[in-house]
Amino acid sequence: MSTIIDLLKCRNILVIGMAGGLARITSTFLIKKYPHLKIIGIDEREVREKPSYSNISCQKIKYTRSNFEKLFRSCHFDIVLHLGRIGHAQSMRSKKRLDINVVETARILELCLKFKVKKAIILSTYHVYGALPDNQAFITEDLPLRASIKYPELRDVVEMDQVATNNMWKHQQDLTSIVLRPCSIIGPQIKNAMTSYLLSKYTPTPLDYNPIFQFIHEFDIGSIIIGCIERAPIGIYNVAPDGVISFRDAKKIISPTSPHIPIFLAEQLAKLVGSKNYFKLPRYLIDYVKFPCLISNAELKKHLGQDCFRYTSQEAIDLLRLSAE
Amino acid sequence: MIKPNSINNILSKISQKLAIDKLFSVTDMAKVESNFQIISEKYKAHSDPFGLDIIKTKEKINLLLPLYRNYFKVRIINPENAQYDRPLMVISNHTGQIPIDAMLITIAFVTDINPPRLLRSMVERFLNTLPFFGTWAAESGAVLGDRSNCQWLLQRGESILVFPEGVRGISKSTSQYYQMQRFTSGFFRLALYAGVDILPISVIGAEEFYPLVYHPWTIARALNLPALPLSASLLLGPLGIIPLPSPIDIRIGKIYSIPKNIEADAPDEFVDFHVNEIQKQIQEMIDIGLRERRDFFGAIKK
Repeated sequence: MSTIIDLLKCRNILVIGMAGGLARITSTFLIKKYPHLKIIGIDEREVREKPSYSNISCQKIKYTRSNFEKLFRSCHFDIVLHLGRIGHAQSMRSKKRLDINVVETARILELCLKFKVKKAIILSTYHVYGALPDNQAFITEDLPLRASIKYPELRDVVEMDQVATNNMWKHQQDLTSIVLRPCSIIGPQIKNAMTSYLLSKYTPTPLDYNPIFQFIHEFDIGSIIIGCIERAPIGIYNVAPDGVISFRDAKKIISPTSPHIPIFLAEQLAKLVGSKNYFKLPRYLIDYVKFPCLISNAELKKHLGQDCFRYTSQEAIDLLRLSAE
Repeated sequence: MIKPNSINNILSKISQKLAIDKLFSVTDMAKVESNFQIISEKYKAHSDPFGLDIIKTKEKINLLLPLYRNYFKVRIINPENAQYDRPLMVISNHTGQIPIDAMLITIAFVTDINPPRLLRSMVERFLNTLPFFGTWAAESGAVLGDRSNCQWLLQRGESILVFPEGVRGISKSTSQYYQMQRFTSGFFRLALYAGVDILPISVIGAEEFYPLVYHPWTIARALNLPALPLSASLLLGPLGIIPLPSPIDIRIGKIYSIPKNIEADAPDEFVDFHVNEIQKQIQEMIDIGLRERRDFFGAIKK
């Protein structure tokens, strides 16, 4: 399979997870750059905000039902973007999330193979490496995935990534697939746990821990996904911009009134109020604001160039603050 | 709710009350300021992924300098040996029950050694799990003692501080004071890999900070701690955490140039020879230091 895809020769693209901000941004970028493309965006949830382009259509569909296969059969997709991982900010039981993320990813990849899709991009997360006190700075793609060692709730994150990577190597002759593990994606259109946590004025900032963080702006990750379609070879890539920022500084820039409390109190608070409306970070993600989990972007830069990121972590935070004002 | 700034305010008020500022000599303050201007140059270009905060580090050194000068009475012997304009891997014996020696060495290399360097000390992963201490250490330049972290720092021209004895060094029984524990060879392979020369140093005086009574290894393992030294100082209650005012001598050895004819992945026998040589050099410096050290109570009277 060729690793370089000429999008000028492609016609149909399937974007999974269209109810999310990242899918909307990526689709818009694609259409602006390649106006001849036809994008079909799908989601299991209702797609409320549709991009206003005539060649982007959206529909609600269950990935395990037969009409999903019918869509593949009738549209002959050249590229499939799987951006529909269910994150931990959404109120959903772990078992259901595991089911959706793992089973449906396997189903999507199976259909990609069956209908000879040229390239599939699967969006995983840096959470797979786990936030542990002995993490080295700049984790590379070949290090073990240790996220679920402490918290079984993160099993879906690791298993989905492994389904994608196993499939990638097993079928590398038939399908060029790419697994992306981005750092925390933030932006006004992103509704994940980290963005909500940063934007919330009253969620506490840890007083006794201050890990170093990487943040990628929503526009940057959109451009990186397109760059990966165009010129990245099969493989796994960490996605993080240059530059880091301490968590306390990031929170201070966006919500300076946030109270500072010791992390053990934050953990108890998370247990008490749950992860729904008041405390915007689930208990099992608290370790990510306790210990650093920095990823190396060297592998991605080899293929997309040294200047593939527009914003540093600090600039991504500044932009989020501006949009929140 | 507590804000980190309010803690800083409280600390500065306490220091004003205790007239700590008066303990500073004007020369010292000017020296710290000018040395930090030189050190800061390196960190302007990129943000530090390990959490170093150069401004906070300067503030901490300013705060600790009276203790360094007047309580621990640190004396640097042969500072001219460190006059070297390339990055260095500083290797030291590890003493005392908590790593105060690392803090004193770091201050020494910022204030009393030319050219000034901010040593990045390699720390145990256990430290990162501790609330406040992990962040405090990271802000002051400490880095998890991981091979890839060391490589990253050395490749960017930073100087690092390594204690090859590890936890074994600081958890010795009284009878083993100033007897170095076996050196691991990892540091030498890293120096070979990065092509960085080694500066051996020895610290005399830190073993006496906390007179050791007992070392319950079983309890330490059960609590998942790297060591649990129970010192006689604990009989004083919370005051027992204050180290005894043992005078400190930091002796700077001769630079050990890294051999050019050995690969970083050379067999153990080639590497072990050099590791043993460095250990021998530090042990000799310790022996000289023990003969020339200041009298403990004499130093207090002075």
